[in-house]
Amino acid sequence: MECMSLLGFGACAPDPEFRISLPFPAFDIDRDTIPPLLRRRTSQATQMAFSAATVAYRQAQRSPEALPSVFASVAGEIQTTDLLCTELVKPAGIISPSVFHNSVQNTAAGYWSITQQCQQPTSALAAGCDTFAMALLEAWCQLTCLGGELLLVCYDENWPKYLAPGQGQPAFACALVLAAGAVEDSILHIGRPHLGTDIFPHAWESLVASMPVLAAIPLLSLAATGGETQIIPVSPLATGWQAKISPSSTMLGSS
Amino acid sequence: MPAADPKAKPEMTKHPQIPPVAVTAYQCVSAAGEDVEALYNSLIANRSCLQPLRLFDIPFKTVVGEVTSPLPNIRQSLKAYDCRNARLALKALNQGEFRSDVERAIANYGALRVGLVLGTSTSGIYDSENAYAHFLSDGIMPSDFHFMQIQTAQATAEFLQRELELQGPCYGISTACSSSAKALGAAQRLIMSDFCDAVLVAGVDSLCRLTLRGFHSLQLISPEACRPMDINRRGINIGEGAALLLLERQSADNTARPRLLAVGESSDAHHMSAPHPEGTGAVLAMTQALRLADREVGDVDYINLHATASILNDQADAKAINNLFPNPPPCSGVKGLLGHTLGAAGAVEAVVSLLALERGFLPGTCGLEQADPNCPCPVIATPRLECAPKLVLSNSFGFGGNNASVLLEVA
Repeated sequence: MECMSLLGFGACAPDPEFRISLPFPAFDIDRDTIPPLLRRRTSQATQMAFSAATVAYRQAQRSPEALPSVFASVAGEIQTTDLLCTELVKPAGIISPSVFHNSVQNTAAGYWSITQQCQQPTSALAAGCDTFAMALLEAWCQLTCLGGELLLVCYDENWPKYLAPGQGQPAFACALVLAAGAVEDSILHIGRPHLGTDIFPHAWESLVASMPVLAAIPLLSLAATGGETQIIPVSPLATGWQAKISPSSTMLGSS
Repeated sequence: MPAADPKAKPEMTKHPQIPPVAVTAYQCVSAAGEDVEALYNSLIANRSCLQPLRLFDIPFKTVVGEVTSPLPNIRQSLKAYDCRNARLALKALNQGEFRSDVERAIANYGALRVGLVLGTSTSGIYDSENAYAHFLSDGIMPSDFHFMQIQTAQATAEFLQRELELQGPCYGISTACSSSAKALGAAQRLIMSDFCDAVLVAGVDSLCRLTLRGFHSLQLISPEACRPMDINRRGINIGEGAALLLLERQSADNTARPRLLAVGESSDAHHMSAPHPEGTGAVLAMTQALRLADREVGDVDYINLHATASILNDQADAKAINNLFPNPPPCSGVKGLLGHTLGAAGAVEAVVSLLALERGFLPGTCGLEQADPNCPCPVIATPRLECAPKLVLSNSFGFGGNNASVLLEVA
């Protein structure tokens, strides 16, 4: 496989100040993307993942029930897990069955498959500050081995501040619909991820250190604004994963 | 399907969609003991290793598959990763020749070409729970609590990577009870996609209050040793363990090793904590594994069931097999021996399947006395020592309706 093609993308950033600072379109949580029965039961993480994924598959004009998916998150359902850990300390702490099953890392992935009636495989992965890079790598491998198209969602809700001081804000989710090979009229062609020494944009350095899934910013920027073919970092690490990105000519000048 | 005798079938050239990979080494720490030999002996004896929980107190009665032998210390330079999960992984790494097998792979291919994929459901959360006790009494998390190195799903993957000085891709898959079965699939794809020549797959989960009390809240925990597929079952037991498998690109050097042919994956799209009652997602996962490997249902000699001993799970598992296989092969489940090791179960039971393939036997189903008539598949209660399976399917199904089916073949 020479490259994979970006067919659609979406981003969700609940904090309005942060949202307007982003160099690509991002939206607040869209509650209409979550079935009414799930709205009260799902976390910020899952709601952001749904919101971004919905923008992406609609832009790609694809049916979500046909797409295998990769959900990637550093801390997963950390607010729910935090609640459980707090209750577990108390002698009479209450563990609710639904809170328990909503604490697994594949909560967003599971609810997505149920909501979309999608029986395609779905995965949930984590890789610390390389979470976006490894999600892209996993997507590359799936498309190489199995062909077709898939949905990649990378997200993290705000983490409780005492867990990792200085980390875990601001909440962010992005979603990419990707296809195997060079698809005409796609937004970007994404080359094979490889290790390199390209430096992560200085302007985003401190934010990505706090919220590792923001490593998607350079790719999403290029998706929104187009530009020259270039190698961009997908990891904040000094020697990290990067990929050659070719914006489609049809996107030049648009935003 | 024609009901031909599989032994009479002529050898045909297979055209797998994904190239098989060699399993060049494997190890497992479990309630059965500290290595694969202890696991093998336990499988042959078919005697439960479940016992009352020692690690912490819980407000109800059950038995667990606890690793009771001492766990090794984490080296000083990697102390930030120190947690029960990392220690279980380190213990497995130090058994037999496993560490030197990984070092040989590094020498052969280079550290950049050796990846690591971990499957875990709760990572180091047992230690996080202890940190929270400190936090709620003192108002601060203890100074040795490192969220990214202990609690997040790739924490123990990073620990193993640094312990072994690997430099290839490294991540954690956390899809509840299918985690490490899916890690095997991801590892095979990393090799096919030429990011790696070898991948260390780890399935590691430790006992913790969160899963014990969580499953208890779902009314799924059995007060006594679990009885998979039995009409009188009373629920599941939780276990812990670490299983490590070294996968390598096939070459002339490893033709004598068993092979991972494929991992089929699917979603139930039904419910967060209950399987589809007819096992439709499980059928899809098994079908995909066979299709990717270009094998027929009649080629499978033995199925390692997910068989947790929850009623819904056992019945969905059996119905799926009954729907897919016109003549299902012998089936059994090992959670009556080891408990349900959750995110580690896929890798632990891949090791069980590899032992069956390499040493020529079929494991039994410890705890099974009277088969549930609503589980329509041929479950064997006691081990069969005269059987030498050649092709084994191992099922893992998790929360979120997340299914994975691992297909392994003898050398």
